[in-house]
Amino acid sequence: MDDDEVLDTIRRTVLLVLPDLEPDLVQPQRTLTELGANSIDRAEVVSLTMETLGVDVPVAAFAGVRDIGGLAALLRRHL
Amino acid sequence: MTGRYGIEALNVYAGLAHIPVPALFAGRGLDPARLDNLMMRSRSVGLPFEDPVTNAVNAAGPLLDALGPGGRDGIELLVTSTESGLDLSKSVASYVHEYLGLSRNCRLLEVKQACYAATGAIQLATGYLASGASPGARALVIGTDLALVDARAGYAEPATGHGAVAVLVGDRPAVLAIDAGAFGVYSYETLDSARPTPELDIADVDRSLFAYLDCLSGSFADYRSRVADADFLATFGYLAMHTPFAGLVRAAHRKLAREHAARVATEPDFEYRVAPSLIYPAAVGNLCSGSVYLALASLLDHADLAAPARIGLYAYGSGCSSEFFSGVADAGSAAAVAAMGIGAHLAARRELSFAEYVRLLPVTLRALVPEPDRTVDLAPYQDFRQPDRRLLVHTGSKQYHRLYEWR
Repeated sequence: MDDDEVLDTIRRTVLLVLPDLEPDLVQPQRTLTELGANSIDRAEVVSLTMETLGVDVPVAAFAGVRDIGGLAALLRRHL
Repeated sequence: MTGRYGIEALNVYAGLAHIPVPALFAGRGLDPARLDNLMMRSRSVGLPFEDPVTNAVNAAGPLLDALGPGGRDGIELLVTSTESGLDLSKSVASYVHEYLGLSRNCRLLEVKQACYAATGAIQLATGYLASGASPGARALVIGTDLALVDARAGYAEPATGHGAVAVLVGDRPAVLAIDAGAFGVYSYETLDSARPTPELDIADVDRSLFAYLDCLSGSFADYRSRVADADFLATFGYLAMHTPFAGLVRAAHRKLAREHAARVATEPDFEYRVAPSLIYPAAVGNLCSGSVYLALASLLDHADLAAPARIGLYAYGSGCSSEFFSGVADAGSAAAVAAMGIGAHLAARRELSFAEYVRLLPVTLRALVPEPDRTVDLAPYQDFRQPDRRLLVHTGSKQYHRLYEWR
């Protein structure tokens, strides 16, 4: 899977959880919080994205993730 | 229900005082836009003469008394499940045993694994009963806790509860006949929330929400691997989950619906099958390992149980450990819980202003700090007494031995 596909999956998941969000706003340098995701939304985006990609990343590995780009990089490492 | 084991009786004690969550938000300057996410109306607040022993006794006492003569017979296992322990060696159960007047022919122990342990104890007790080692035996499991939160806890402060839930397990399971062998478990190590000292809760909210949802998927998958044809929609008439705050249970339901029932309209399904379980938790706050049983009580007091229904239950404890299990309830279950008057008990709590709440904290936040000698001044709290209720109160300690009286 190439870089864009992981990001695309995240984007689709974010839009599933935040249906009123403008798709173009979902960019690597943004954070989920900036986009209006509350704590439950963030947990749902991560868990749904992992399910879609078929990856299982230990909860502790998310500690250093700062933004959507960081999330994509982490998930890519576990593909 | 015969030939089965499970919950014979259930009761909740959620204190004598509460603070409406909007008042707490306003007092702390929290963002009111986040109230919707929390889905909480009010939370119970502890008073200086309350501790995990008094909460446990005040939950279990009325339950045992309501059973009439012989109500205490056969209780040969007493387990307290708590994150609010009083001693590194001596169990809360040892005190609870004394003040409940239970038989000396009894095992006493305390279990600890955040908000999970009571469920582990209940399942182990059920297995013990089913083994036939002691026909007619009963087990009393009590999840009992105190809050240690203040402004440092941020949005967790309005969601934290105070109190205890007592669960009597036996072979006449009027409240919930547990489905033997129908369970799923899922556990691993993560530090999502903990209580490292008697005065401090720590939590990584994102990690905790994530682990809760992750364990729900994991334990439900394990349940399905053991129970042929188990189906998220068809098998369970209702669902009751560990409720740190009602908004998380809504997200949990949505996750399972997406994973297992993609075509269902989630909102109406949530309203019918889950919402009745959230009414009491939204009025009390997180009751730790008692929380899922508070949710069960809420369900049985508010749902339509004219026909028997299978209830799916989910327990989760930070650190973390989880279990998805099920049992059958019917009109008799609803009647048994209704007789305990839990709704009336919650309504009888006195409402605190934010100023009153803040004045209590310096004392209540030290409730678990070991002090060899202590005297609790009950005089300022006469207004909280309820004339028709006899309650156990903590009056102090002497050489670390804790002292209690009936008032």
